[in-house]
Parts: sequence; structure tokens; C-alpha cells
Amino acid sequence: MTGMTGLTVRKRLLGWLADLALILYFVFALFPIAWMVILSLKPANQLFSTYFSFTPTLGSYRTVLGDSEGIPFVRFFVNSLVVSVGAVVLSLVVGLPAAYASARWRFKGSENLMFTLLSFRFAPELTVIIPLFVLYQKLGLFDTYVGMIWVLQLVTLPLIVWIMRSYFADLTPELEQAALLDGYTRKQAFFKVALPLVKPGIAAVSLLAFIFAWNNFVFPLILTSNEAQTVTVGALSFLGGDRPKYNLTAAAALVSVVPPLLLALTIQRYLVRGLSFGAVKS
Amino acid sequence: MSSSRTAIGLRGIRKTYGKTTALDGLELDVKEGEFFCLLGPSGAGKTTTLKTVAGLEQPDSGTVELDGKDMRGVEPYDRGVAMCFESYALYPHRSAYDNLASPLRSPRHRLPAADARDRIAAIAELLGIGGLLDRPVGQLSNGQRQRVALGRVLVRPARAFLLDEPLSHLDAKLRQQMRAELKAIGAVQNTTTLYVTHDSVEALALGDRIGVIRDGRIVQTGTREEIWYQPCDTEVARAFGRPRINLLPGAVAADGGFRSADGKVELPISAAASPGTEVLIGVRPRDLALGEGPGHELTGTVYVTEVLGRSVEVTVRLGEQHVSLVAPRADTAGLRPDDPVRLTVRPENLLLFEADRPERPGRRIGR
Repeated sequence: MTGMTGLTVRKRLLGWLADLALILYFVFALFPIAWMVILSLKPANQLFSTYFSFTPTLGSYRTVLGDSEGIPFVRFFVNSLVVSVGAVVLSLVVGLPAAYASARWRFKGSENLMFTLLSFRFAPELTVIIPLFVLYQKLGLFDTYVGMIWVLQLVTLPLIVWIMRSYFADLTPELEQAALLDGYTRKQAFFKVALPLVKPGIAAVSLLAFIFAWNNFVFPLILTSNEAQTVTVGALSFLGGDRPKYNLTAAAALVSVVPPLLLALTIQRYLVRGLSFGAVKS
Repeated sequence: MSSSRTAIGLRGIRKTYGKTTALDGLELDVKEGEFFCLLGPSGAGKTTTLKTVAGLEQPDSGTVELDGKDMRGVEPYDRGVAMCFESYALYPHRSAYDNLASPLRSPRHRLPAADARDRIAAIAELLGIGGLLDRPVGQLSNGQRQRVALGRVLVRPARAFLLDEPLSHLDAKLRQQMRAELKAIGAVQNTTTLYVTHDSVEALALGDRIGVIRDGRIVQTGTREEIWYQPCDTEVARAFGRPRINLLPGAVAADGGFRSADGKVELPISAAASPGTEVLIGVRPRDLALGEGPGHELTGTVYVTEVLGRSVEVTVRLGEQHVSLVAPRADTAGLRPDDPVRLTVRPENLLLFEADRPERPGRRIGR
């Protein structure tokens, strides 16, 4: 043992310390989720017990997904899906041509336009929410799918335009020029050459935008009441009433995490493909 | 073959990118059916010229004419020209076959699928890529990609072919072979071709006429003989021929002859320049002969010899200058450094230039 130098001992010790630090961070980061899982499994009468033992039950999930307690959680869930998917699809339809145009051509005010679009991402939503509320009330967009999809463009459109712009900028314009000389119009060159080549980017950015749209809280909170309400707001309904039902809220929150979680797992593959795309291009 | 009708005409084309001037009043006439080589160093504006003809770049001023028609406002797909990009610009998500088929599936050059297949097979065979058609272009080597890119141009009918260094990425042997075959291809024989290269050998081998481009301007246009025997200035003279042309600095003497700067070389020429004018006298290495012969005689000493195969490049010291010459191997047997040698040059092979100036190379002022 005397052969072992102080250096290797220290190295090993540092390794252990690093592991310990990682475990601590892991516990810290995952604790809220673990807590929610425990909370969602507790029966209502043991909710506030301070000791750790309880009789686990799936009753909360049954209540939440069974639309009991007068709260249409399944509808909130469907609303979230419709609104988020709708917002992403609309952003793609509008945003892909915009991204392409801004990547390929400098036109008057193009940079200002792009910056304005970006500013939607970093301006707090709360700054515009009251005028939006008034407008929506007057236009009849309040508590509608159309209204929600529209307002979520503030979230999804800048993301899609800015990320797709860099994908298009990475493509050499000579590919589309070759298509023009092959006898295709500019529109055909876009659809047949440029668009297929940024597919990995479209997949990655769509998933990302979906998650942002899904997670949005402020817009549905103010601009919907019942018909178009989404899970992020709907899950809180369980806290109202005679006494807060934390177990139901926890179950609802965990259920609403599922779609973004599934997508986040798929996004990894696409993100890697999307990012390595530029490297393998000749 | 080539008639006198102008197929591609560029009139006073100016194109700037920010502060850099790519084309500076470029004038160019390519005749119907002609194979025209545009030669110049990188950055001279060759690719910009092609893209301007194709309509991919809009000139700041000047006009592009195709078959005598002003092309202002005519979209690239309506100009009927085909272009081979130096970067290949192959569609990376498609197979080699689909790349070749792209023009034949477009609304403007559509062929029935069966005819397209035959044409593609014929062109692929010609270019030696017949066995690669199923592969995605990402799996092809650079040389193979370049041939696919060339094929995509040749497969379709066109008013003109615009080829941007289409052989540059082939290995030496294949390049030589393709160079020989390119002009024999029927489509190329029948179609006006504007061919861009930085390789003077390629330009001399291929071009019916050659245009030398420099700093966004055509400095000289002519047949290979004109470019070779009557270069407009020292830089054009230097651009063609390896080893390079010998240029001896000197001045016009009182008797109108040439006297080198060190006074060691005198040549009786009839210069159209006043005595005292600083000049360069040019003679190509293959026009200098070892030993006795007709023409002017020069004496010097051997500096170094290098065997090139069947011939030998001999560098000879003439006073303070070095000149190279290429001689058959038999004539150079036994030559050692510092051996005295006699050189002869025929008077008609001497070229006389003004001295180079910082702002421009010296112009030719006499034979």
C-alpha cells in the first residue's frame, strides 16, 4: 500500500467527491418530481401526514382522468394538444417562407423585422396581456381555439423563424441556383431542394416549439375561461373549492407532463441529426 | 463549326460586392457553337461572369445578351443555359441518377421517363459513372461528384453550357482523359460553351478561343496561337507555358537594339521605342536552342539541369540573369554546372514588352 502515491489517492478522493456532488444535485433536481409522484399516490385523508408512510392509491389519477369533481381535465388536455399543435403548424406555414426569405435575401428593413420578431421572445408576455384581453373580448376571440393559436404565435413563430433561418443560411445558395438552371422556378427550387434538406431542422424546431407552446401559462390564464382552457391552467382548478386537493393537482400535473416528456425524448435524436447536418454536408 | 453570330454577349458588365469590384466593365463575345475558355487566377471574376450570364447574379450595370436578346429581367430558368458549378451543387438528398434526371423532370426540359432514362444512361456511360447511378451523391468521391455535375449539364439541351472548372477535382490522369473527350462529346460540339479555368494547359487544349480575365476585365481575347505568340502583356505571357517565359530586363540601346540591364546580353531588334526605354525581352524556353543554329547567338554558363523525362530543362546564367530552356535529352548529355554554352534564338521568337510597372504589367510593344 505504501507504493500508492498520494496523487492517486487524491485523484480517487476527488472522483468520489464529484460523484457525491452529482448525486446531491440529482436529488435536488428530481426532488420536486419525486414529491409530486408521492403526493399523487397519497389518499386524500393522509395528504397532510408528516411521516412518510401512507397507503398508495391510483385514486387521484382515476379522479383526474375520469373528469370527476366537476373539472373537465380531459378536455383541458385535448385543448392543450389542439392549441399547441395548431400553433406549431401555423408557425411552420408562415415561418418557413419567412425564414427562407430572410436567410437568402437582404431587403429593406429585413434585419429590423427579424429583430422585432425576436423581441417577442424576450419581452414579458405580461406587458401585452391586458390590451390583448380587451381586444380578444371585443373580437370574440376570447376563450377560442383560434384566439389561443393566434396568441401562441408570439411563442412559436420567433423560435421557428430564427432557428430555421440559420438552417437555410447553412445551405449553399448554389443548390437552388442549380435547380433554377435545371428549369425549376424559385418556388419549385424552395419546395424540391431547400425544404427537403432542412427536414431535420424542421423536426427539431417543431418539437421545441410544441413544448414551449404546451408549457405556456399566462396566455391561457388570461385569455381563456372554460372552453379553450389548457392543462397548465386547468390543473390548478383542483386547488379551488372547499379545500385544496393537492393529490389531484399533482396527478393532473404529472399527466400533463407526459406529452412534452415523450417529445423531449424523441427530440434528442432529431437534435443530434439536425446539428450534425451542417458537418456532413459537402 | 463556329459562325460569326454572337451567342453570348456581355457589354460593360460591372458588379460589386460591397467595396470589392468583381467585374469592372467586362466585355465578352462568344460566338455561336464556339468553345470559349475564360482563363484567370482565382478572384479574377470568372465565376461571377458565368453567374451573370446565367442570371444568378444581377450586374450593377451593363447588359447580358443571349442570341442577341437583352436578358434584363429574364429569370435563370428562362435563359435556357446550363451551368456546372465548381462546388458541384449536387442535391445531397438524391441519388446520382436523380441528380442527372433533375433537368429532364423540370417543367421546361421535361422528357418522357423512358427517353430520359436513355439519355442519362448514354451520358453516364460517356462520363464513366454508369455504375454509380444508384448511389446517393454523399457516397461519391469528389471526382465522381464532379462528373455527375458535368453530366447534369450535358444531359439536357441548352442554348449554352457554362462550365466552372468542371475538371478541377479529377485526378491528373482522368483529367487529361476527360479533357480529350470533352470536346468530342456531341452535345459540346453543337453547343456554345463558356468554360472557366485557371489552368492554362486546359485553356490551350480546349478553347477555340481564349479570353484572359484579370481584375474583372478581359485583357486579351484570341485563338491559342494569338495568345501564345502575341500576348498583350507580360502577365499573359507568363500565364501560358511551363517552364515560364524568360523575361530579361534591359533597355533600348542607342542603335535601337536591346541591351540587358547588366550589359551582358545584346540583341539586335527593331523596337518601336525610343532609346533608353526600359523594356523586357521575352523568349519561351522551347524557343531557345542549345548550340549553333540560325538566329541570334547568346553565350552563358550552365547553372543547373533538371531532367523532365525525354527532355531536359536547363537553366543558364546570362550575365546576372537566369534563363531556362528545354532541350532534347541527347543535346544536354555531359552538361555540368558552370560549363560554357551557346544559345540561339530566332528573331521571330523574341517578344518585346514595356517594363512592368507597379500598377500594371508591361505591354507588348514588338515582336
